[in-house]
Amino acid sequence: MNLTTHCVSPEEIMAYLDGDFSASDAEALSSHIDQCEECSELAKQFRAVSQLLSHWEVPFAPAKLEEAVLDAATQSNAGQKLRRPGLFLRASLWTPKQWAFRSIGAFAATLLIVAIFLPFSRHEDITTLEKIEPSSGQSAARARSDVNSEFSNSIVAGVASAGAQRDALAVRQMQPQEMVAAPTPAPAPEPKRVISGTADHAPNAPVPMIARTVSLTIVVKDFSAARFKLDAILAHYQGYAAQLTVNTPENAPRNFQASIRIPAPFLSAATNDLRALGRVENESQSGEEVTQQHADLVARLKTARDTEDRLRAILQQRTGKIEDVLQVEEEIARVRGEIESMEAEQKGLEHRVDFASIDLQLTEEYKAQLNPPSNSASTRMHNAFVAGYRNAANLLFGIVLFFTEYGPTLLIVAAILGIPVFFLWRRYRRMLAKA
Amino acid sequence: MTSFGDRPAIAMTDEQLMIAFAEGKTDAFSELFTRYKQPLFGFFRRRVVELAQAEELTQETFLAVLRASSRYESSALFRTYLYSIAFRILQAHRRKTAFRATFLGATHGDREPAMQSSVLAGAVVREAVGKLSLWDREILMLREFEELSYAEIAELLKLPVNTVRSRLFRARLALHGILAAPAPSSSTTGLTEFEEGI
Repeated sequence: MNLTTHCVSPEEIMAYLDGDFSASDAEALSSHIDQCEECSELAKQFRAVSQLLSHWEVPFAPAKLEEAVLDAATQSNAGQKLRRPGLFLRASLWTPKQWAFRSIGAFAATLLIVAIFLPFSRHEDITTLEKIEPSSGQSAARARSDVNSEFSNSIVAGVASAGAQRDALAVRQMQPQEMVAAPTPAPAPEPKRVISGTADHAPNAPVPMIARTVSLTIVVKDFSAARFKLDAILAHYQGYAAQLTVNTPENAPRNFQASIRIPAPFLSAATNDLRALGRVENESQSGEEVTQQHADLVARLKTARDTEDRLRAILQQRTGKIEDVLQVEEEIARVRGEIESMEAEQKGLEHRVDFASIDLQLTEEYKAQLNPPSNSASTRMHNAFVAGYRNAANLLFGIVLFFTEYGPTLLIVAAILGIPVFFLWRRYRRMLAKA
Repeated sequence: MTSFGDRPAIAMTDEQLMIAFAEGKTDAFSELFTRYKQPLFGFFRRRVVELAQAEELTQETFLAVLRASSRYESSALFRTYLYSIAFRILQAHRRKTAFRATFLGATHGDREPAMQSSVLAGAVVREAVGKLSLWDREILMLREFEELSYAEIAELLKLPVNTVRSRLFRARLALHGILAAPAPSSSTTGLTEFEEGI
């Protein structure tokens, strides 16, 4: 059947039979169907299909349905809330607008929760780190230093005298973003033996040997003055700085991190002076008892020295073959090495006891400054354009690098996960078609 | 006979009854329910496996209309509005069923035996309808059983009217071809698939 021989299309005949045809054309169509055998046959087919479909009957709706719905209608008009449908159903009744708003809302809420809890969890991590290693101030300082290493652009390393550091830092302060190496470190001043209980660490000494560590975070108003006061405190208590880091970013508060050593008896006084630099934001103290460790070391050292003496006596008093002499000398050299190693360890231990460690962090109380723009508008536009181009290039390059680095792994993961997901999805689609 | 003002409820249009219900007249909804109880139940009964599910979905549709009654605007025919809610509820039910079958291994319960009179003819017709593609079947059923106009079907399924018409045409011809063809010797398989389909 085609339109060259018929003035109507088969679909129009169907629409006419369904009553979905304009009244003005219906009369002409009706007369055409009556006259045209082919169209009449088609109309019969459509009628036959409808008639056959009418055989598909359903039972009457159950009476309890009426009770339930009309009760709900009464409740609804009485202002009572009807029971909520299930999640699947509720979601299916949402409009696209509701879907969009709720999805955005859920996403924003997730971001907000992450933004709120992430800093707390990071803070807990740092606190935990300090709690786990309370006895090792250096380790904590080192860990913190690692964490902040990306932000710290100038490092003053090594052991230096307070005066030498002051000179070095006074010069380096003019160049905040550069790495600074301290001059050849001067030896730390020998702590006066007044400080001791720790001066003579006999194995049976009743005074416990404790290596003390203090951690201080202080917010100061005048950053420069605080720096000089710190130097004065170090000089006053004959302390020294093991490590100093100064960071002076633009339009952000300056900060200063130092790991300093103070003679142990002056720790309390020095800590008080440091607290006076500004507002203490965080403080923790810890002590590691090394008495037993020191006593063991002294005992081992004494034994080694006795051994050395005996070996020397053998060398002097006995005669023998040249091989025997050489063997004794070798043994003396080995024992001597051990003695020196243990002496160094003993000194280090005593030094840790004699000099308490303070991990100090000074942060400036930052006040934003209104600086007139230094560059012209065109220069700033140019710079912004260059920076924008560079950022875009970096981003693209980063994406390429990411996929180069992780692409093969992601492909493997996708292959491993993709196969079951594919089968599940296919099964779901099949079930959906069946449902 | 229930009446609102000087007009009996039976003489009022669906839209007027819905507005009357929104204004607090519970009897208006009773009249609407009486008009659509059986068509809506039939809509679900022809599309879901179990009788109880059809009943539950019918009830859920009326409850959804009740919940949304305060927001109802008579810009569209109430019938279209009602079937669009019913269709969405049906789709949600299908998704839930498919999800359970996929991930929880839940399967359909026992199939409902053929119903009432004309058991044999009904089964043959259902089998034939089940062989149509999903959209063709849906359009055909909406036209034949729910008696929706082409425009209403198009609005319900978010399809152009011309697409609805051409698919309906295709579905009817296909159905006529299936029913006119000699019955296959093993119709059990087809029946099973179709029974799952509805």
